[in-house]
Amino acid sequence: MAGQLPPPPPPQWVLDLTSTTTPSKPKSGSIPDPPGFTSTTALTTKQSKSSSKAITPRKQPSPDEMDTLKLKKAWELALAPAKQLPMNAIGMYMSGNSLQIFSIMMVFMLFKGPITAVLNIQSTFQRLETETNRTQMLGVKAAFVGCNLLALALGLWKVNGMGLLPTTRSDWLAWETAREPLERAYYVPS
Amino acid sequence: MRVPWIAATFFLARSALAVFADEAWNVDYHYALLGLPKQSTSFFHQPNPSSRASLIYTLSEEGVLGAVNPRDGSVVWRQLLLSEALAYNVSFLRAGEGQDTVISGIGSQVAAWSAADGRQAWILDTAGPLQDVEILELSDGRETAGAKDAIALSGGEHPAVVRIDGTSGAIKWQYQWDGVDQPYQVSASTTEVFAILLHKTLLGYVKLKVVSLDPVTGRKTDEHVVSSENELASAETIVSVGANSASPIVAWTNSAHSVLKVNILGTKEISSFNIEAHDSHAVERVEIHAPYHTNSLSHFLVHYETATSHWADVFHIDLKNSKIEKAYSLPKMTGKGAFSTGTSDANVFFTRVTRDQVMTVSSASHGVLGRWAVAGFGVAAGPGESVEPVHAVSEVSIKGTSVSAVRSAVLLSTGDWVLLRDGSPVWNRPEVLASTVSATFAIPAEVQEFVQQLEAEAHGNPISAYIHRVTRHLQDLQKLPAIMASLPQRIVQGFLGTSADGGIASDSFGFHQIIACATRDGRLVALDAGNPDKVLWNQQVADLQLGQTWQPSVSSPEGGIIEINSKASAGVRYNASTGEQLFSILPIDETAGEVALPVKYAIHKGELDATVDTKMAWHFTPMSGERIVSLVPRPVNDPVASIGKVLGDRRVLYKYLDPNLALLVTANDVTKAATFYVLNTISGAILYSNVHSGVDLGSPISSMLSENWFAYSFTAEASANSPKGHQLVAGELFESLVANDRGPLSASANYSSMQTGTEPFTLAQTYQIPEPISHMAVTRTRQGITSRQLLAVLADSSAIVGIPYGVIDPRRPVSRDPTKDEQMEGLVRYSPVLDFDPKWYLNHQREIVGIKDVVTSPALLESTSLVFAYGLDVFGTRLSPSFSFDVLGKDFNKFQMLATVAALAVATFVVAPLVARKQVNARWQFA
Repeated sequence: MAGQLPPPPPPQWVLDLTSTTTPSKPKSGSIPDPPGFTSTTALTTKQSKSSSKAITPRKQPSPDEMDTLKLKKAWELALAPAKQLPMNAIGMYMSGNSLQIFSIMMVFMLFKGPITAVLNIQSTFQRLETETNRTQMLGVKAAFVGCNLLALALGLWKVNGMGLLPTTRSDWLAWETAREPLERAYYVPS
Repeated sequence: MRVPWIAATFFLARSALAVFADEAWNVDYHYALLGLPKQSTSFFHQPNPSSRASLIYTLSEEGVLGAVNPRDGSVVWRQLLLSEALAYNVSFLRAGEGQDTVISGIGSQVAAWSAADGRQAWILDTAGPLQDVEILELSDGRETAGAKDAIALSGGEHPAVVRIDGTSGAIKWQYQWDGVDQPYQVSASTTEVFAILLHKTLLGYVKLKVVSLDPVTGRKTDEHVVSSENELASAETIVSVGANSASPIVAWTNSAHSVLKVNILGTKEISSFNIEAHDSHAVERVEIHAPYHTNSLSHFLVHYETATSHWADVFHIDLKNSKIEKAYSLPKMTGKGAFSTGTSDANVFFTRVTRDQVMTVSSASHGVLGRWAVAGFGVAAGPGESVEPVHAVSEVSIKGTSVSAVRSAVLLSTGDWVLLRDGSPVWNRPEVLASTVSATFAIPAEVQEFVQQLEAEAHGNPISAYIHRVTRHLQDLQKLPAIMASLPQRIVQGFLGTSADGGIASDSFGFHQIIACATRDGRLVALDAGNPDKVLWNQQVADLQLGQTWQPSVSSPEGGIIEINSKASAGVRYNASTGEQLFSILPIDETAGEVALPVKYAIHKGELDATVDTKMAWHFTPMSGERIVSLVPRPVNDPVASIGKVLGDRRVLYKYLDPNLALLVTANDVTKAATFYVLNTISGAILYSNVHSGVDLGSPISSMLSENWFAYSFTAEASANSPKGHQLVAGELFESLVANDRGPLSASANYSSMQTGTEPFTLAQTYQIPEPISHMAVTRTRQGITSRQLLAVLADSSAIVGIPYGVIDPRRPVSRDPTKDEQMEGLVRYSPVLDFDPKWYLNHQREIVGIKDVVTSPALLESTSLVFAYGLDVFGTRLSPSFSFDVLGKDFNKFQMLATVAALAVATFVVAPLVARKQVNARWQFA
């Protein structure tokens, strides 16, 4: 055997094993994926990457255009809660005023949504905010807060309808005390 | 919204007011009582002459005729002959040999009753009060085939002896006499009827006069005086007049009980016997026990009793020459004893019951035929009290020549009626409770301590309360070994549902309260409301002479203590758990030491007087012609949870809450009007009054006042536009009828009725009810959160109903449907006729007879109120007017709950590896 033969091509399983594709994060936390496993998501992203390469790049908009676009987008975001309002109102109306787990959950969601939205207002508008549209963004934010307050008001209306607001005399009755008589009379059976 | 929620609960509650089937005979208890039996009216008798099974018949001191099954002590039937019990009334009960009827005599009524089922055969009213009733045991050919005839002796203005037909109750003949001779007793031999009359001499002594009558025609055949001029000071020393024996006798003693004189009726000779004193004590009582059958041997037993001992002599009557001879003596024994007569064919047996043995002798000789030791009667008595037999009736079973068994129904000095089979108690009936005149609930001392600890924790500041609780639990750890030991048993019982929930000491629900009953004969009897089968203790607290009465009122001023107040003694206190008298505690007026001097008011000479510190405060005189029927003050301890009523639209209607309220009922006998006043008892002001005319004042008028509402009922006579009917009126007092308005005093912290006379706004509504209510009470709970029930005693149907307040609410809308808001409150449209829902009946199918009063007490659980009714019968139950919202019912299936948990645990363990394998496979296998 003078002429050294090139080593035979590694079998497919070796190739699979040594392939550089990093094993994707396993779906189910504790169990590691088997070696050589390629997750379907990794495959699809590859494919999409390859397909996006085919599209020709669009012309970049100018910063002014970007600002208008961002502002437009911001207004869209700010008015989104107001758009949900009629639907919420109908939902609330339909769920009735009785104290049931369903209506309680709905009311809870109704309160949670606006409050978290207002708390996260900075992060919501951060990526749309630029140096130039900052002043305009203030108005947008105010509108956003206003819309959320409207949603809160709807929640309050609902809660009031359910009788959970202590607005009537009977709600404070437990704190009213009976008048103490200064004299006492006792019956003496004869 | 809270209101609809409450309303919804209320509606659900109304639709489901039924008791759970498993609680119906569990939480309630009932003693069907007869009252203390009397020696002369109690006997064993075969209701069906062909069968040997006998029942015990008695006509008690309460005027109740009944038959008791000697096997288990249950009442077979009973009849209330007197609606108003008279102590020591004169009553008679006789049963002819081999007859299926018993004949009773009480007041002026003679009646025959079927012995088997208590149905009335006939009833006859005599001209005057009855003095005696006997059954005529003779065979003169005129007798009808059926029931034997009865003879009755009546007194009054025209005393008479009457022979009554046994089947129809018609009078066969009547013998009347004029003159001053008082009728005493009647007696019959097989050939003659004797009427014994008392003839008053000029010196005030009495003489016995015997009138012989022909039983067929009723004509007088002979008359003679048997006792000498000044032998008898009064009729009280006449010992006995025998009847229906082969030779009836009359016996009397002199007033010192030293000589016994006996006369055989129909003869003139008097046999005289000296009563030997066996010790230094004088003979106090002499009694004669003789068989009640004409074909029995004519032997009788004389029972002598001193304060410390008793003995007896047996006498034989020689029928041929009418001589009486002493046959033998039964030896003296210490303590009291009871003798009873039993017959078998002609033989006569005497049974002697003493505190430690039962002994049977034949009348012929003194040989003891049977002797059984009595280990105990199995009844509760007071500390240091020895239980003595008072009287007995017995039935002797004879096998050959020996006595095989003796059944004796013995009345004990504790008021228990016990059946002894030979020497062992089979059952006991606490007949003493039938004469209960006052009763109260008392919390046992142990529970009271627990309550106080809980209250300390509730009202202290959080940190100290927490420390208090931890130390309490650490102390509780000492009980751990005992609890651990009993744990397996408790778990098993919990599963099987047989747990008898603990004793008095470990009562965390407050169901085991002690009920103290003061009885007419001066005893105090304590029952456990949670375990009513047993009497806790029973003792004599008042030493009453014969015929003397007392009006005790028992109360529980604090936990663990029972206090008796009567005219003679003010505030004697007893330990509720043991019955020991507490000596060291002086009765303290708990009303003293308050801010101002209390007003005390009482009914005095038909008027209502109120005093403050001996000065007259106010004075209520009924209008002319009116008399006070009753006065019901608001209970002193009447907690109210909410000071207002929440309306459907969540506004508030404020209640008029004044602790100083009383409901006064007056009646005018001439105009047939009844007036109902709600009074302020501080100022004497009339807050509300209402007059009802055309009231049947013979029917009961009951009334009740609690919280801010009152109720009363009466019977209205028929008038031009309405028929006779029973009415229930409910009224509610409000500060103002405008919602959210607290009235003129507004939210001021305190007020004086003397200075500010606010008047309530009253709403009242009348309901037509199907029968009269003889007594009313109301449920009470710990904090007053639970809704109320009006407890109404229905004497006509022998029942107690609990009417929910919502049904009689005066705010029910009249002649229109309720609005939505009113519906949310649970108000329904007013309808004038109120039918008692069968679910309201607390007694279910039992008959609760003769209830005079109902007391209620809160349990420790807010949902529950304890109820105790007394009178003739004793009945008690637990009520949850708003359901047992704070305790799991018996219908809660513990087993199912634990099984579900266990099944889930098993499922988790089984499924976990399966899921793990599936997850691994999901990674490794490709489809």
